Amino acid sequence: MNDLFATIYEALFGLYDSQFSLIFDTLYDYGGYNLLGLTFIAVPLIMFVCFYLLWKYPYGKLWHWLLWLLIAFLVTGGISWGISNNEIFLSDNQALIDALADPESGYEQYANTLPLLYALFNGLLSVAVGFIFSLILKQFSKIQIHLPF
Amino acid sequence: MAKKLYIFGIGGTGSRVIKSLAMLLASGCKLKNDFDTVIPIIIDPDTSNGDLNRTKDILKLYQEIRNQVNQPDDFFGQEIKTVNELANKSSVVNSDYFQFNLSDVDQSTFAQYIGFNTLDEEYKNSKDDKNFTRLLYSEQNLNSNLNVGFKGNPNMGAIVLNQFTDSEDFKRFGQTFNDGDAIFIVNSIFGGTGAAGFPLLLKNLRGNRDIPNSAKIQDSQIGGITYLPYFALNKKDEINSDSFEDKAKIAIDYYNRTIIKQRKINSLYFIGNRGNTKHLEYAVGGKDQRNNAHFLEMAGALAIFDFCENIDKTSGETQIKEFGIEKKSENIVFGDLNLNNQKEIAKPLTKFKLFSEYLIVGLPKALNTSRWTKSNIKLVKKIENSFLDKQYFNSSEYKLQIDSFNKHFIEWLNEMEDNKPAFSPYNKINWGDALNLIKGDEGKGNKSFKSIDIENCKLITDIGFRSSPDKKHTTLIKVFGNSTENVLIKNNLLKQENNG
Repeated sequence: MNDLFATIYEALFGLYDSQFSLIFDTLYDYGGYNLLGLTFIAVPLIMFVCFYLLWKYPYGKLWHWLLWLLIAFLVTGGISWGISNNEIFLSDNQALIDALADPESGYEQYANTLPLLYALFNGLLSVAVGFIFSLILKQFSKIQIHLPF
Repeated sequence: MAKKLYIFGIGGTGSRVIKSLAMLLASGCKLKNDFDTVIPIIIDPDTSNGDLNRTKDILKLYQEIRNQVNQPDDFFGQEIKTVNELANKSSVVNSDYFQFNLSDVDQSTFAQYIGFNTLDEEYKNSKDDKNFTRLLYSEQNLNSNLNVGFKGNPNMGAIVLNQFTDSEDFKRFGQTFNDGDAIFIVNSIFGGTGAAGFPLLLKNLRGNRDIPNSAKIQDSQIGGITYLPYFALNKKDEINSDSFEDKAKIAIDYYNRTIIKQRKINSLYFIGNRGNTKHLEYAVGGKDQRNNAHFLEMAGALAIFDFCENIDKTSGETQIKEFGIEKKSENIVFGDLNLNNQKEIAKPLTKFKLFSEYLIVGLPKALNTSRWTKSNIKLVKKIENSFLDKQYFNSSEYKLQIDSFNKHFIEWLNEMEDNKPAFSPYNKINWGDALNLIKGDEGKGNKSFKSIDIENCKLITDIGFRSSPDKKHTTLIKVFGNSTENVLIKNNLLKQENNG
């Protein structure tokens, strides 16, 4: 899974920068990618299980589903921001700690931009995953089966 | 063995009791002891009578709706047919066949009907003379137009109604009569048509050998309900409600001698109301005679259920029964009825009330929004799409049948609430507290129509509730029959009835 998630972030979204490889190596080696990956899967999964199977509201419209998706985006983004921030700035990797502490290296400045990017990309991933979960979960729903369409 | 119950409703009261019965049957009340078909037969010379035509319209709508439901077992569960449908094995719905035709009453006066002008003025030289007839009938009687009934004069009714057993309708009734079938007669004792028609009809049923299957009819179980005065009129003219009670006493005495003591009937129910009765708008007949529904008419319909339930318990003697309520009240609620009546009607009526009110108050919010009203859901199995979509609710079948019947049902409840004594077991309904509808029964849980929408969403895919092109109302009737019951149980409403 770690490899898959690393590929998604580094290759698909092109976040990898060889100049600052210490950061990406740390995220890979210390399980940061796993946490980020689980976030964009688990958050929409939990949210849409609630939406389709637990929410007993018989007047659901498309905007309700879109709102749910937006909340999934924001929650995933928020959690992802926290995870990436922790994994980078509170890392146990001494080499990365030293690099971040060295103003000449430019690591800190670059690292500061990453949590927001991970939050944004993970949010988008959660939207895509949420859409797929919707198509699956609606099959088992008694009340919201008509959403998103 | 499936059995039929023929219900003769004589006069305006007869029509109104049959209307109440139709409402209870639509709600899901059922006759016991294997009576699977009800055949209402209205006998009323007043063909333009407002009550009569309203009842015929309701019966027609009942049939039209039921014919569009596959194996109805809750709402509209009991089959209603006309004698004509049974005799001709046809399924064509025609409300005219609910009424037995009386010939020569359309535009003639009573004098013309009995051939008064052909009689001789001179009594000495003639076998029939006008003067003898004048002893029995006043000028007003003789000049009365028969197409508005007998205006409270049973002496006229006894002559005119004596002919209906010769009619084709009556012969068809005899042809369709089988072993085990039973007859119930509804009449009022204080009017004209009912008071005269009841003994005549009974005499023919028990003794007329010219009717097909006369032996079966003669030996059949026959019950009847006779209405004692239960309303008054706001004007004293040709019909004077002050005379209702005296006329009732005389008629009871006659019934006692000729019917009860001679064991002509198996069960005879009496019902009436003294004291605080409502003064109805005066009308001698015709379209103006459109009396508001009354609780006692529904109680009369309950007598029909009681008759069927206890049909095997009758002995040789005529059983006399009276209707009563547990607590005297001017505003009758379910708790005022005896337990048997409560169990019989509270749940079905409440379910149908919820159903009919929902379609007015609740549906606009759900239509084309809630999944049970959507037929265009993508990427799901075909069965997940609903028949009850916007197109169905805009269809002529829905508007002309379901919507029309439900309006009659709500009107019927409102009229009973407006009468004296009032039958008012329900609070006014709005969307937010729809399940707070039963007076004195708070229940629990969500009170809004949302509860019904949730249940409908769960039930809409049930394979047994699928409509088909020739059974368009199956889904609506079956889904609501179940969803209304489920919300009553979940909200802990009508606990006693639900446990029973």
